[in-house]
Amino acid sequence: MSAVIQVEGLAKTYLTPFTRRRSEALRGVSFEVKRGEIFGFLGPNGAGKTTTIRCLMGLIKASSGTAKILGQPVPSRAARARVGFLPEQPYFYDYLTVAELLDLTGRLFGLDAATRRKRADELITKVGLDRARGQSLKKYSKGMLQRAGLAQALINDPDVLVFDEPSSGLDPIGRKEVRDLMLELHEAGKTVFFSSHILSDIETICDRVAIVIRGKLVEIGAPRELAGRTLLATDVTFRIDDPRGAAAEEIAARGDRVRRGDQELTVSLEADADVDEVLAFARARGAKTIAVAPRHDSLEDLFLRKAKEGG
Amino acid sequence: MISRIWAIALNTFREAVRSRVLYGILILVVGANLFAIVLGEMAVGEETRVARDVGLAGISLFGAITSIYLGVALLYTEIQRRTVHAIVSKPIERWEFVVGKYLGMVLTLSVLVVLFATAMVGLLALQGVPVTGAIAKAVVLAWFEVLTVAAIAVFFSSFSTPFLSGIFALGLFVLGRVTPDMQTAIASAEAPWMRTTLRGALQIVPDLHLYAISGRTLDGHHVSVHHDFVSWGYVGTAAAYGILWIAGLLILASLIFQRRDFV
Repeated sequence: MSAVIQVEGLAKTYLTPFTRRRSEALRGVSFEVKRGEIFGFLGPNGAGKTTTIRCLMGLIKASSGTAKILGQPVPSRAARARVGFLPEQPYFYDYLTVAELLDLTGRLFGLDAATRRKRADELITKVGLDRARGQSLKKYSKGMLQRAGLAQALINDPDVLVFDEPSSGLDPIGRKEVRDLMLELHEAGKTVFFSSHILSDIETICDRVAIVIRGKLVEIGAPRELAGRTLLATDVTFRIDDPRGAAAEEIAARGDRVRRGDQELTVSLEADADVDEVLAFARARGAKTIAVAPRHDSLEDLFLRKAKEGG
Repeated sequence: MISRIWAIALNTFREAVRSRVLYGILILVVGANLFAIVLGEMAVGEETRVARDVGLAGISLFGAITSIYLGVALLYTEIQRRTVHAIVSKPIERWEFVVGKYLGMVLTLSVLVVLFATAMVGLLALQGVPVTGAIAKAVVLAWFEVLTVAAIAVFFSSFSTPFLSGIFALGLFVLGRVTPDMQTAIASAEAPWMRTTLRGALQIVPDLHLYAISGRTLDGHHVSVHHDFVSWGYVGTAAAYGILWIAGLLILASLIFQRRDFV
Protein backbone atom coordinates (compact mmCIF):
# COMPACT_ATOMS: atom_id res chain seq x y z
CA MET A 1 0.00 0.00 0.00
CA SER A 2 1.38 3.41 -0.98
CA ALA A 3 1.50 6.34 1.43
CA VAL A 4 -1.26 8.89 0.98
CA ILE A 5 -0.12 11.18 3.77
CA GLN A 6 3.60 11.51 4.49
CA VAL A 7 4.78 13.58 7.42
CA GLU A 8 8.50 13.95 8.05
CA GLY A 9 9.98 15.74 11.05
CA LEU A 10 7.10 18.19 11.37
CA ALA A 11 7.74 20.82 14.04
CA LYS A 12 5.89 23.93 15.08
CA THR A 13 7.17 26.49 17.54
CA TYR A 14 5.14 29.52 18.54
CA LEU A 15 6.82 32.70 19.72
CA THR A 16 4.74 34.86 22.00
CA PRO A 17 4.76 38.49 20.89
CA PHE A 18 6.94 40.91 22.90
CA THR A 19 8.33 38.32 25.38
CA ARG A 20 9.44 36.04 22.49
CA ARG A 21 8.82 33.05 24.72
CA ARG A 22 8.99 29.79 22.75
CA SER A 23 6.25 27.23 22.93
CA GLU A 24 6.81 23.95 21.10
CA ALA A 25 3.52 22.56 19.85
CA LEU A 26 5.09 19.90 17.61
CA ARG A 27 8.54 18.40 18.02
CA GLY A 28 9.55 16.47 14.92
CA VAL A 29 6.52 14.30 14.19
CA SER A 30 6.94 11.68 11.43
CA PHE A 31 4.42 9.14 10.19
CA GLU A 32 2.75 7.81 7.06
CA VAL A 33 -0.88 7.03 6.36
CA LYS A 34 -1.34 4.28 3.79
CA ARG A 35 -3.92 4.22 1.03
CA GLY A 36 -7.30 2.93 2.13
CA GLU A 37 -6.65 2.73 5.85
CA ILE A 38 -8.42 4.35 8.77
CA PHE A 39 -5.69 6.02 10.75
CA GLY A 40 -6.36 7.33 14.22
CA PHE A 41 -4.36 10.16 15.73
CA LEU A 42 -4.63 9.80 19.46
CA GLY A 43 -3.47 12.13 22.16
CA PRO A 44 -4.57 14.08 25.21
CA ASN A 45 -5.70 17.70 24.91
CA GLY A 46 -2.85 19.95 23.83
CA ALA A 47 -0.74 17.05 22.54
CA GLY A 48 -0.38 18.49 19.03
CA LYS A 49 -3.09 16.61 17.13
CA THR A 50 -4.89 19.70 15.87
CA THR A 51 -1.59 21.48 15.15
CA THR A 52 -0.52 18.56 12.94
CA ILE A 53 -3.84 18.59 11.11
CA ARG A 54 -3.76 22.37 10.66
CA CYS A 55 -0.25 22.08 9.20
CA LEU A 56 -1.52 19.41 6.79
CA MET A 57 -4.43 21.58 5.71
CA GLY A 58 -2.28 24.68 5.23
CA LEU A 59 -3.89 26.63 8.07
CA ILE A 60 -0.60 27.05 9.89
CA LYS A 61 2.95 26.86 8.64
CA ALA A 62 5.30 24.30 10.11
CA SER A 63 8.51 25.70 11.60
CA SER A 64 10.39 22.78 10.06
CA GLY A 65 9.79 19.41 8.46
CA THR A 66 7.77 18.44 5.41
CA ALA A 67 4.44 16.88 4.62
CA LYS A 68 2.83 15.54 1.47
CA ILE A 69 -0.73 14.56 0.64
CA LEU A 70 -1.12 12.25 -2.38
CA GLY A 71 2.44 13.17 -3.35
CA GLN A 72 1.70 16.92 -3.38
CA PRO A 73 3.68 19.16 -1.04
CA VAL A 74 1.87 20.82 1.87
CA PRO A 75 0.78 23.57 1.84
CA SER A 76 -0.45 23.70 -1.75
CA ARG A 77 -3.73 24.01 -3.56
CA ALA A 78 -3.04 20.70 -5.32
CA ALA A 79 -2.65 18.93 -1.97
CA ARG A 80 -6.01 20.23 -0.75
CA ALA A 81 -7.88 19.47 -3.97
CA ARG A 82 -8.50 15.77 -3.21
CA VAL A 83 -8.99 16.13 0.53
CA GLY A 84 -12.17 16.49 2.52
CA PHE A 85 -11.58 18.32 5.79
CA LEU A 86 -13.71 18.64 8.91
CA PRO A 87 -12.21 21.21 11.31
CA GLU A 88 -12.37 20.81 15.08
CA GLN A 89 -15.63 22.31 16.40
CA PRO A 90 -16.52 23.57 12.93
CA TYR A 91 -17.57 27.18 12.53
CA PHE A 92 -19.40 28.05 9.35
CA TYR A 93 -21.10 31.17 8.06
CA ASP A 94 -24.17 31.03 10.24
CA TYR A 95 -26.34 33.07 7.89
CA LEU A 96 -26.19 30.25 5.32
CA THR A 97 -28.42 27.21 5.05
CA VAL A 98 -26.70 23.83 4.75
CA ALA A 99 -27.52 23.75 1.01
CA GLU A 100 -25.89 27.18 0.57
CA LEU A 101 -22.85 26.04 2.55
CA LEU A 102 -22.47 22.99 0.33
CA ASP A 103 -22.94 25.14 -2.79
CA LEU A 104 -20.18 27.51 -1.64
CA THR A 105 -17.85 24.60 -0.83
CA GLY A 106 -18.63 22.94 -4.16
CA ARG A 107 -17.78 26.16 -6.00
CA LEU A 108 -14.38 26.27 -4.27
CA PHE A 109 -13.71 22.78 -5.60
CA GLY A 110 -14.73 23.91 -9.09
CA LEU A 111 -17.83 21.69 -9.32
CA ASP A 112 -20.45 22.68 -11.91
CA ALA A 113 -23.92 23.77 -10.78
CA ALA A 114 -25.66 20.45 -11.58
CA THR A 115 -23.04 18.40 -9.72
CA ARG A 116 -23.15 20.77 -6.75
CA ARG A 117 -26.93 20.45 -6.50
CA LYS A 118 -26.88 16.66 -6.87
CA ARG A 119 -24.07 16.14 -4.36
CA ALA A 120 -25.65 18.57 -1.89
CA ASP A 121 -29.01 16.75 -2.02
CA GLU A 122 -27.32 13.37 -1.51
CA LEU A 123 -25.14 14.55 1.35
CA ILE A 124 -27.89 16.42 3.20
CA THR A 125 -29.87 13.17 3.22
CA LYS A 126 -26.81 11.11 4.12
CA VAL A 127 -25.98 13.18 7.21
CA GLY A 128 -29.63 13.37 8.25
CA LEU A 129 -30.23 17.10 7.82
CA ASP A 130 -33.19 16.87 5.42
CA ARG A 131 -35.62 18.34 7.90
CA ALA A 132 -33.31 21.25 8.72
CA ARG A 133 -32.23 22.12 5.19
CA GLY A 134 -34.22 25.36 5.10
CA GLN A 135 -32.90 26.65 8.41
CA SER A 136 -29.89 28.91 8.72
CA LEU A 137 -26.88 27.33 10.44
CA LYS A 138 -27.22 29.72 13.39
CA LYS A 139 -30.25 27.68 14.45
CA TYR A 140 -28.34 24.39 14.36
CA SER A 141 -27.30 22.48 17.46
CA LYS A 142 -23.65 21.44 17.93
CA GLY A 143 -24.40 17.96 16.64
CA MET A 144 -26.20 19.33 13.58
CA LEU A 145 -23.25 21.61 12.81
CA GLN A 146 -20.96 18.60 13.02
CA ARG A 147 -23.18 16.82 10.49
CA ALA A 148 -23.12 19.88 8.21
CA GLY A 149 -19.33 19.84 8.60
CA LEU A 150 -19.17 16.21 7.53
CA ALA A 151 -21.34 16.98 4.50
CA GLN A 152 -19.09 19.85 3.35
CA ALA A 153 -16.05 17.60 3.81
CA LEU A 154 -17.55 15.10 1.36
CA ILE A 155 -18.82 17.50 -1.33
CA ASN A 156 -15.84 16.87 -3.66
CA ASP A 157 -15.98 13.06 -3.28
CA PRO A 158 -12.45 13.19 -1.85
CA ASP A 159 -9.86 10.40 -1.85
CA VAL A 160 -8.56 11.42 1.56
CA LEU A 161 -10.58 12.53 4.55
CA VAL A 162 -9.07 14.48 7.40
CA PHE A 163 -11.35 14.82 10.40
CA ASP A 164 -10.32 16.74 13.49
CA GLU A 165 -12.22 15.34 16.50
CA PRO A 166 -15.22 14.24 14.43
CA SER A 167 -17.10 12.89 17.46
CA SER A 168 -16.62 16.01 19.54
CA GLY A 169 -19.90 17.23 20.98
CA LEU A 170 -21.93 14.33 19.67
CA ASP A 171 -24.25 12.12 21.70
CA PRO A 172 -23.72 8.32 21.63
CA ILE A 173 -26.04 7.93 18.63
CA GLY A 174 -24.23 10.67 16.74
CA ARG A 175 -20.86 9.11 17.59
CA LYS A 176 -21.97 5.75 16.27
CA GLU A 177 -23.23 7.40 13.08
CA VAL A 178 -19.83 9.08 12.58
CA ARG A 179 -18.07 5.74 13.17
CA ASP A 180 -20.39 4.06 10.66
CA LEU A 181 -19.75 6.84 8.15
CA MET A 182 -15.99 6.40 8.50
CA LEU A 183 -16.35 2.64 8.01
CA GLU A 184 -18.55 3.25 4.96
CA LEU A 185 -15.91 5.58 3.49
CA HIS A 186 -13.26 2.96 4.26
CA GLU A 187 -15.35 0.35 2.42
CA ALA A 188 -15.50 2.71 -0.56
CA GLY A 189 -11.69 2.74 -0.65
CA LYS A 190 -11.18 6.16 0.91
CA THR A 191 -8.35 6.94 3.29
CA VAL A 192 -9.52 8.35 6.60
CA PHE A 193 -7.21 10.21 8.96
CA PHE A 194 -8.82 11.45 12.12
CA SER A 195 -7.84 12.74 15.51
CA SER A 196 -9.58 11.82 18.71
CA HIS A 197 -9.11 11.33 22.38
CA ILE A 198 -12.03 8.91 22.51
CA LEU A 199 -10.25 5.56 22.86
CA SER A 200 -13.23 3.38 22.06
CA ASP A 201 -13.64 5.07 18.65
CA ILE A 202 -9.98 4.52 17.83
CA GLU A 203 -9.91 0.94 19.11
CA THR A 204 -13.10 -0.03 17.24
CA ILE A 205 -12.45 1.20 13.74
CA CYS A 206 -8.78 2.07 13.18
CA ASP A 207 -6.39 -0.01 11.10
CA ARG A 208 -3.50 1.87 12.64
CA VAL A 209 -3.08 4.43 15.32
CA ALA A 210 -0.42 6.94 16.33
CA ILE A 211 -0.16 8.30 19.84
CA VAL A 212 1.14 11.82 20.19
CA ILE A 213 2.11 13.23 23.57
CA ARG A 214 3.39 16.76 24.14
CA GLY A 215 4.20 17.30 20.48
CA LYS A 216 6.06 14.00 20.00
CA LEU A 217 4.89 10.82 18.38
CA VAL A 218 5.43 8.08 20.94
CA GLU A 219 3.74 5.02 19.44
CA ILE A 220 2.46 3.91 16.06
CA GLY A 221 0.92 0.62 14.96
CA ALA A 222 -2.25 -1.47 14.82
CA PRO A 223 -4.36 -1.02 17.97
CA ARG A 224 -4.18 -4.76 18.77
CA GLU A 225 -0.41 -4.85 18.37
CA LEU A 226 0.07 -1.76 20.50
CA ALA A 227 -2.39 -2.90 23.13
CA GLY A 228 -1.20 -6.49 23.58
CA ARG A 229 2.53 -5.90 23.84
CA THR A 230 2.95 -5.62 27.58
CA LEU A 231 1.99 -8.34 30.06
CA LEU A 232 0.46 -6.58 33.03
CA ALA A 233 -0.38 -9.60 35.22
CA THR A 234 -1.42 -13.28 35.19
CA ASP A 235 -4.70 -14.20 36.83
CA VAL A 236 -4.69 -17.77 38.18
CA THR A 237 -7.91 -19.36 39.45
CA PHE A 238 -7.77 -22.37 41.79
CA ARG A 239 -10.45 -24.68 43.15
CA ILE A 240 -9.89 -25.10 46.84
CA ASP A 241 -12.15 -26.52 49.60
CA ASP A 242 -11.81 -23.54 51.93
CA PRO A 243 -10.93 -20.30 50.13
CA ARG A 244 -10.48 -18.58 53.49
CA GLY A 245 -8.43 -21.32 55.14
CA ALA A 246 -4.72 -21.34 56.03
CA ALA A 247 -3.68 -22.98 52.73
CA ALA A 248 -5.64 -20.40 50.70
CA GLU A 249 -4.02 -17.59 52.68
CA GLU A 250 -0.55 -18.97 51.87
CA ILE A 251 -1.38 -19.12 48.15
CA ALA A 252 -2.99 -15.65 48.21
CA ALA A 253 0.19 -14.23 49.71
CA ARG A 254 2.03 -15.06 46.46
CA GLY A 255 -0.12 -12.61 44.46
CA ASP A 256 -0.96 -8.94 44.80
CA ARG A 257 -4.74 -9.10 44.31
CA VAL A 258 -7.11 -11.83 45.48
CA ARG A 259 -10.73 -12.63 44.73
CA ARG A 260 -12.57 -15.33 46.66
CA GLY A 261 -15.68 -17.21 45.51
CA ASP A 262 -17.48 -20.40 46.39
CA GLN A 263 -14.58 -22.90 46.62
CA GLU A 264 -12.63 -20.67 44.24
CA LEU A 265 -9.64 -18.47 44.71
CA THR A 266 -8.30 -16.13 42.03
CA VAL A 267 -4.84 -14.72 42.56
CA SER A 268 -3.40 -11.98 40.40
CA LEU A 269 0.34 -12.55 39.92
CA GLU A 270 2.75 -9.79 38.97
CA ALA A 271 3.99 -9.75 35.35
CA ASP A 272 7.44 -11.08 36.32
CA ALA A 273 6.17 -13.77 38.74
CA ASP A 274 7.20 -17.43 38.22
CA VAL A 275 3.76 -18.84 37.37
CA ASP A 276 4.94 -22.50 37.26
CA GLU A 277 6.41 -22.20 40.73
CA VAL A 278 3.17 -20.66 42.10
CA LEU A 279 1.11 -23.41 40.46
CA ALA A 280 3.35 -26.13 42.06
CA PHE A 281 3.14 -24.31 45.40
CA ALA A 282 -0.67 -24.29 45.24
CA ARG A 283 -0.89 -27.92 44.11
CA ALA A 284 1.21 -28.96 47.10
CA ARG A 285 -1.46 -27.30 49.31
CA GLY A 286 -4.36 -29.18 47.78
CA ALA A 287 -5.49 -26.48 45.30
CA LYS A 288 -6.48 -27.45 41.77
CA THR A 289 -5.66 -25.05 38.92
CA ILE A 290 -8.74 -24.31 36.79
CA ALA A 291 -7.63 -21.24 34.79
CA VAL A 292 -4.47 -19.30 33.93
CA ALA A 293 -5.19 -16.01 32.16
CA PRO A 294 -2.42 -13.61 31.14
CA ARG A 295 -3.66 -9.98 31.23
CA HIS A 296 -2.10 -7.64 28.63
CA ASP A 297 -2.44 -3.88 28.55
CA SER A 298 -5.33 -2.33 26.63
CA LEU A 299 -4.97 0.72 24.38
CA GLU A 300 -6.28 2.74 27.29
CA ASP A 301 -3.53 1.35 29.60
CA LEU A 302 -0.90 2.15 26.99
CA PHE A 303 -2.30 5.63 26.37
CA LEU A 304 -2.46 6.45 30.08
CA ARG A 305 1.04 5.10 30.67
CA LYS A 306 2.49 7.10 27.76
CA ALA A 307 0.62 10.21 28.84
CA LYS A 308 2.02 9.80 32.35
CA GLU A 309 5.56 9.25 31.05
CA GLY A 310 5.22 12.24 28.72
CA GLY A 311 3.68 14.46 31.37
CA MET B 1 -9.42 31.09 -10.18
CA ILE B 2 -12.22 33.46 -11.29
CA SER B 3 -14.92 31.04 -10.12
CA ARG B 4 -13.34 30.69 -6.67
CA ILE B 5 -12.96 34.47 -6.26
CA TRP B 6 -16.54 34.90 -7.47
CA ALA B 7 -17.78 32.28 -4.96
CA ILE B 8 -16.18 34.21 -2.08
CA ALA B 9 -17.43 37.55 -3.45
CA LEU B 10 -21.01 36.29 -3.76
CA ASN B 11 -20.89 34.87 -0.24
CA THR B 12 -19.58 38.16 1.16
CA PHE B 13 -22.33 40.04 -0.66
CA ARG B 14 -24.89 37.59 0.73
CA GLU B 15 -23.57 38.17 4.25
CA ALA B 16 -23.90 41.94 3.86
CA VAL B 17 -27.41 41.68 2.40
CA ARG B 18 -28.48 39.55 5.37
CA SER B 19 -26.99 42.04 7.83
CA ARG B 20 -29.70 44.41 9.10
CA VAL B 21 -27.24 47.21 9.80
CA LEU B 22 -27.06 48.09 6.11
CA TYR B 23 -30.78 48.70 5.97
CA GLY B 24 -30.37 51.13 8.86
CA ILE B 25 -27.68 52.99 6.92
CA LEU B 26 -29.95 53.13 3.87
CA ILE B 27 -32.72 54.66 5.95
CA LEU B 28 -30.23 57.20 7.32
CA VAL B 29 -29.24 58.22 3.78
CA VAL B 30 -32.86 58.69 2.69
CA GLY B 31 -33.33 60.67 5.89
CA ALA B 32 -30.30 62.83 5.06
CA ASN B 33 -31.75 63.59 1.62
CA LEU B 34 -35.11 64.53 3.12
CA PHE B 35 -33.24 66.71 5.61
CA ALA B 36 -31.43 68.34 2.65
CA ILE B 37 -34.79 69.24 1.09
CA VAL B 38 -36.05 70.74 4.34
CA LEU B 39 -32.78 72.62 4.73
CA GLY B 40 -33.07 73.84 1.13
CA GLU B 41 -36.56 75.17 1.80
CA MET B 42 -35.14 77.18 4.68
CA ALA B 43 -32.31 78.60 2.55
CA VAL B 44 -34.37 80.77 0.25
CA GLY B 45 -33.00 80.81 -3.30
CA GLU B 46 -30.45 78.09 -2.50
CA GLU B 47 -32.82 75.07 -2.44
CA THR B 48 -31.16 73.38 -5.40
CA ARG B 49 -27.64 73.97 -4.16
CA VAL B 50 -28.33 72.69 -0.65
CA ALA B 51 -30.25 69.61 -1.86
CA ARG B 52 -27.41 68.62 -4.22
CA ASP B 53 -24.61 69.32 -1.74
CA VAL B 54 -26.18 67.46 1.15
CA GLY B 55 -27.24 64.57 -1.11
CA LEU B 56 -23.72 64.13 -2.53
CA ALA B 57 -22.10 64.59 0.88
CA GLY B 58 -24.47 61.91 2.20
CA ILE B 59 -23.32 59.44 -0.46
CA SER B 60 -19.68 60.19 0.23
CA LEU B 61 -19.90 60.23 4.03
CA PHE B 62 -22.28 57.31 4.56
CA GLY B 63 -20.51 55.37 1.82
CA ALA B 64 -17.16 55.86 3.57
CA ILE B 65 -18.62 54.97 6.98
CA THR B 66 -20.23 51.83 5.55
CA SER B 67 -17.03 50.79 3.82
CA ILE B 68 -15.05 51.25 7.06
CA TYR B 69 -17.73 49.41 9.06
CA LEU B 70 -17.75 46.46 6.66
CA GLY B 71 -14.06 46.51 5.80
CA VAL B 72 -12.48 46.54 9.26
CA ALA B 73 -14.21 43.30 10.22
CA LEU B 74 -13.87 41.63 6.83
CA LEU B 75 -10.78 39.48 7.44
CA TYR B 76 -10.42 39.82 11.20
CA THR B 77 -13.77 38.23 12.07
CA GLU B 78 -13.11 35.38 9.65
CA ILE B 79 -10.04 34.51 11.72
CA GLN B 80 -11.66 35.19 15.09
CA ARG B 81 -14.76 33.12 14.32
CA ARG B 82 -12.62 30.46 12.62
CA THR B 83 -14.89 30.47 9.58
CA VAL B 84 -11.69 30.88 7.59
CA HIS B 85 -10.63 27.32 8.56
CA ALA B 86 -13.32 25.71 6.46
CA ILE B 87 -12.51 27.96 3.49
CA VAL B 88 -8.72 28.19 3.20
CA SER B 89 -8.46 24.43 3.73
CA LYS B 90 -10.16 24.12 0.34
CA PRO B 91 -8.22 24.46 -2.94
CA ILE B 92 -8.19 28.24 -2.89
CA GLU B 93 -5.18 30.54 -2.61
CA ARG B 94 -5.24 32.97 0.27
CA TRP B 95 -4.90 35.98 -2.04
CA GLU B 96 -7.95 34.73 -3.94
CA PHE B 97 -9.84 34.75 -0.65
CA VAL B 98 -8.74 38.35 0.12
CA VAL B 99 -9.63 39.57 -3.38
CA GLY B 100 -12.96 37.68 -3.26
CA LYS B 101 -13.85 39.23 0.08
CA TYR B 102 -12.98 42.69 -1.25
CA LEU B 103 -14.99 42.18 -4.44
CA GLY B 104 -17.95 41.10 -2.32
CA MET B 105 -17.63 44.41 -0.52
CA VAL B 106 -17.38 46.22 -3.86
CA LEU B 107 -20.67 44.59 -4.90
CA THR B 108 -22.33 45.58 -1.64
CA LEU B 109 -21.00 49.14 -1.66
CA SER B 110 -21.86 49.60 -5.34
CA VAL B 111 -25.45 48.56 -4.69
CA LEU B 112 -25.57 50.95 -1.74
CA VAL B 113 -24.12 53.85 -3.78
CA VAL B 114 -26.68 53.17 -6.53
CA LEU B 115 -29.46 53.15 -3.93
CA PHE B 116 -28.09 56.32 -2.26
CA ALA B 117 -27.85 58.04 -5.65
CA THR B 118 -31.32 56.86 -6.69
CA ALA B 119 -32.77 58.19 -3.44
CA MET B 120 -31.00 61.53 -3.98
CA VAL B 121 -32.00 61.84 -7.65
CA GLY B 122 -35.59 60.80 -6.86
CA LEU B 123 -35.94 63.39 -4.15
CA LEU B 124 -34.27 66.06 -6.32
CA ALA B 125 -36.69 65.21 -9.15
CA LEU B 126 -39.62 65.58 -6.76
CA GLN B 127 -38.29 69.04 -5.97
CA GLY B 128 -38.05 69.80 -9.67
CA VAL B 129 -34.25 70.10 -9.49
CA PRO B 130 -32.65 69.07 -12.81
CA VAL B 131 -30.27 66.10 -12.72
CA THR B 132 -27.15 67.09 -14.64
CA GLY B 133 -24.10 65.25 -15.93
CA ALA B 134 -22.13 66.94 -13.15
CA ILE B 135 -24.12 64.98 -10.58
CA ALA B 136 -23.38 61.72 -12.41
CA LYS B 137 -19.65 62.56 -12.37
CA ALA B 138 -19.78 63.49 -8.69
CA VAL B 139 -21.51 60.17 -7.87
CA VAL B 140 -18.87 58.19 -9.83
CA LEU B 141 -16.11 60.05 -7.97
CA ALA B 142 -17.81 59.36 -4.62
CA TRP B 143 -18.12 55.69 -5.62
CA PHE B 144 -14.36 55.40 -6.26
CA GLU B 145 -13.63 57.16 -3.00
CA VAL B 146 -15.82 54.64 -1.17
CA LEU B 147 -14.04 51.71 -2.88
CA THR B 148 -10.61 53.16 -1.99
CA VAL B 149 -11.63 53.64 1.65
CA ALA B 150 -12.92 50.04 1.65
CA ALA B 151 -9.50 48.80 0.47
CA ILE B 152 -7.83 50.80 3.27
CA ALA B 153 -10.13 49.15 5.83
CA VAL B 154 -9.49 45.67 4.38
CA PHE B 155 -5.74 46.27 4.52
CA PHE B 156 -5.87 47.10 8.24
CA SER B 157 -8.25 44.21 8.84
CA SER B 158 -5.59 41.78 7.62
CA PHE B 159 -3.52 42.33 10.78
CA SER B 160 -5.43 44.42 13.28
CA THR B 161 -8.59 44.36 15.39
CA PRO B 162 -11.75 46.02 14.05
CA PHE B 163 -11.47 48.79 16.66
CA LEU B 164 -7.89 49.74 15.76
CA SER B 165 -8.52 49.19 12.06
CA GLY B 166 -11.50 51.52 12.33
CA ILE B 167 -9.37 54.23 13.94
CA PHE B 168 -6.58 53.81 11.37
CA ALA B 169 -8.98 53.75 8.41
CA LEU B 170 -10.94 56.75 9.66
CA GLY B 171 -7.65 58.58 10.27
CA LEU B 172 -6.47 57.91 6.72
CA PHE B 173 -9.88 58.92 5.34
CA VAL B 174 -9.72 62.27 7.15
CA LEU B 175 -6.06 62.86 6.19
CA GLY B 176 -6.80 61.83 2.61
CA ARG B 177 -9.50 64.47 2.45
CA VAL B 178 -7.23 67.30 3.66
CA THR B 179 -4.21 66.73 1.42
CA PRO B 180 -4.33 70.33 0.01
CA ASP B 181 -4.29 71.65 3.58
CA MET B 182 -1.32 69.40 4.33
CA GLN B 183 0.50 70.86 1.31
CA THR B 184 -0.24 74.34 2.56
CA ALA B 185 1.05 73.34 5.98
CA ILE B 186 4.29 72.02 4.40
CA ALA B 187 4.83 75.35 2.68
CA SER B 188 4.24 77.32 5.84
CA ALA B 189 5.91 75.01 8.38
CA GLU B 190 9.07 76.43 9.85
CA ALA B 191 10.46 73.35 11.56
CA PRO B 192 12.22 71.01 9.10
CA TRP B 193 11.03 67.92 11.00
CA MET B 194 7.44 69.08 10.56
CA ARG B 195 7.92 69.50 6.82
CA THR B 196 9.55 66.05 6.59
CA THR B 197 6.76 64.45 8.63
CA LEU B 198 4.02 66.04 6.55
CA ARG B 199 5.76 65.13 3.29
CA GLY B 200 6.10 61.53 4.54
CA ALA B 201 2.42 61.49 5.52
CA LEU B 202 1.44 62.72 2.06
CA GLN B 203 3.32 59.78 0.53
CA ILE B 204 1.38 57.16 2.49
CA VAL B 205 -2.04 58.78 2.37
CA PRO B 206 -4.26 58.35 -0.68
CA ASP B 207 -5.33 61.71 -2.05
CA LEU B 208 -9.07 61.36 -1.43
CA HIS B 209 -9.51 65.06 -1.99
CA LEU B 210 -9.49 64.21 -5.73
CA TYR B 211 -12.93 62.64 -5.27
CA ALA B 212 -14.47 65.53 -3.35
CA ILE B 213 -13.37 68.23 -5.74
CA SER B 214 -16.59 70.24 -5.90
CA GLY B 215 -16.12 73.69 -4.41
CA ARG B 216 -12.32 73.50 -4.79
CA THR B 217 -9.85 74.98 -7.22
CA LEU B 218 -8.45 72.77 -9.95
CA ASP B 219 -5.67 74.08 -12.24
CA GLY B 220 -6.59 77.63 -11.23
CA HIS B 221 -10.32 77.15 -11.98
CA HIS B 222 -13.09 76.91 -9.45
CA VAL B 223 -15.05 73.68 -9.99
CA SER B 224 -18.51 72.99 -8.66
CA VAL B 225 -21.32 70.53 -9.37
CA HIS B 226 -23.60 73.55 -9.57
CA HIS B 227 -21.77 75.33 -12.41
CA ASP B 228 -18.59 74.24 -14.09
CA PHE B 229 -17.57 70.75 -12.98
CA VAL B 230 -14.68 68.46 -13.93
CA SER B 231 -14.49 66.58 -17.26
CA TRP B 232 -15.00 62.81 -17.69
CA GLY B 233 -11.27 62.67 -18.39
CA TYR B 234 -10.62 63.90 -14.86
CA VAL B 235 -13.06 61.29 -13.51
CA GLY B 236 -11.20 58.57 -15.45
CA THR B 237 -7.82 59.70 -14.11
CA ALA B 238 -9.14 59.84 -10.54
CA ALA B 239 -10.64 56.36 -10.99
CA ALA B 240 -7.31 55.00 -12.28
CA TYR B 241 -5.55 56.57 -9.29
CA GLY B 242 -8.05 54.83 -6.98
CA ILE B 243 -7.61 51.50 -8.74
CA LEU B 244 -3.84 51.71 -8.29
CA TRP B 245 -4.26 52.37 -4.56
CA ILE B 246 -6.80 49.56 -4.26
CA ALA B 247 -4.48 47.12 -6.07
CA GLY B 248 -1.53 48.11 -3.87
CA LEU B 249 -3.51 47.79 -0.65
CA LEU B 250 -4.93 44.41 -1.66
CA ILE B 251 -1.47 43.11 -2.56
CA LEU B 252 -0.19 44.17 0.88
CA ALA B 253 -3.25 42.68 2.62
CA SER B 254 -2.76 39.41 0.70
CA LEU B 255 0.93 39.24 1.61
CA ILE B 256 0.10 39.74 5.29
CA PHE B 257 -2.80 37.27 5.16
CA GLN B 258 -0.55 34.73 3.41
CA ARG B 259 1.88 34.74 6.33
CA ARG B 260 -0.72 34.36 9.06
CA ASP B 261 -1.25 31.19 11.07
CA PHE B 262 -4.87 30.31 11.66
CA VAL B 263 -4.81 28.74 15.11
